[in-house]
Amino acid sequence: MNDRARVLVIVPAFDEEESLPRTLDEVRAVAPAVDLLVVDDGSRDGTAQVARARGVPVVRHPLNLGVGGALETGFRWAVERGYDVGVQLDADGQHDPAWLPALLDPVLAGACDVCIGSRYAAATGYHAPVLRRSGMLLFAGLVSAALHQRITDTTSGFRAYSRAVMEVCQHDFPEDFPDAPLLIALARRGFRLREVAVVMRERRAGRSFYTLGKSLYYPYKNLLASLMALLQRPV
Amino acid sequence: MHFLSKTQIIAAAGAVALVLLVLDLVRRRKLSEEYALLWVVSTAGMAVLGFATPVLRFVTRALGIVLETSTVFAAGLAFTTGVLIYLSVRLTRLGRENQTLARELALLRHDLEALRGAAAAPPGAAGGERA
Repeated sequence: MNDRARVLVIVPAFDEEESLPRTLDEVRAVAPAVDLLVVDDGSRDGTAQVARARGVPVVRHPLNLGVGGALETGFRWAVERGYDVGVQLDADGQHDPAWLPALLDPVLAGACDVCIGSRYAAATGYHAPVLRRSGMLLFAGLVSAALHQRITDTTSGFRAYSRAVMEVCQHDFPEDFPDAPLLIALARRGFRLREVAVVMRERRAGRSFYTLGKSLYYPYKNLLASLMALLQRPV
Repeated sequence: MHFLSKTQIIAAAGAVALVLLVLDLVRRRKLSEEYALLWVVSTAGMAVLGFATPVLRFVTRALGIVLETSTVFAAGLAFTTGVLIYLSVRLTRLGRENQTLARELALLRHDLEALRGAAAAPPGAAGGERA
């Protein structure tokens, strides 16, 4: 890794007091040089306290703004404080920080602007329920066709973003779920995407952001937002 | 001037009551002038259709509608749809603004707490956060 570049790992967290400490410790162990930020998205448990106890800065949303809202807050923080790269990493332990260097290197080297940690870029043994998997395939196909580039994992929340991407996202950011529409919007703005294969683990504790109600809303919202992102003129 | 039909009197009373309600809401600061305009204009439009029988007849013929009453209902539905779409747009914008404010508040609160901590700690003491 480039020693001079400043890297911020953004951890959006909603009621994650159980799994957050280990996630933070793991990041520190793997990459002592990177800074951490926990975006507490309106938690009602001790998420903020466990992060502060580890000396990690916490920004606490007064309301629940969702994953996208939390990520945008992390981008604001990163841009204001002059970070070169921002990494999105789940608090629940699904994302193994051991893959951080693999995710960071292409962005630090300037080979791409967004690096996605993909469960499907290589056979990693990740299995999702049939319905969820078919949804994932649909969006992967949609994004790949739209961008003329093979993207296998649009729902991965394990990504690295260059400073330029974070700057753009501050002003113009697809809401709710930062998935397929975000990737399309970024690619249409000329940002280069790349996937690297990662192995994801089972969540340690807490609930998924994608609950039952959202599992119906998610495909609708993402499909519409993706089509709208395609209809917008490239900037 | 010819006498108004029973329906027209009911429509007139309804329109007047609606305008009075809207104006009263504005007076009590429960409704902004901006939204009041929306309601006053739509009520006025309905009143015109209700009273000016020749206008209503003309519009009905022009649109190929059989009954005059259908024209009134169609206009009412169109106004309602317009108002609802307008409100949805405003709601979306408000939601977005709300999110921006919540984010700004969260960032400021962090900085405020950090400043307070720095002011409270004696100089040279190890800081709690690496921000």
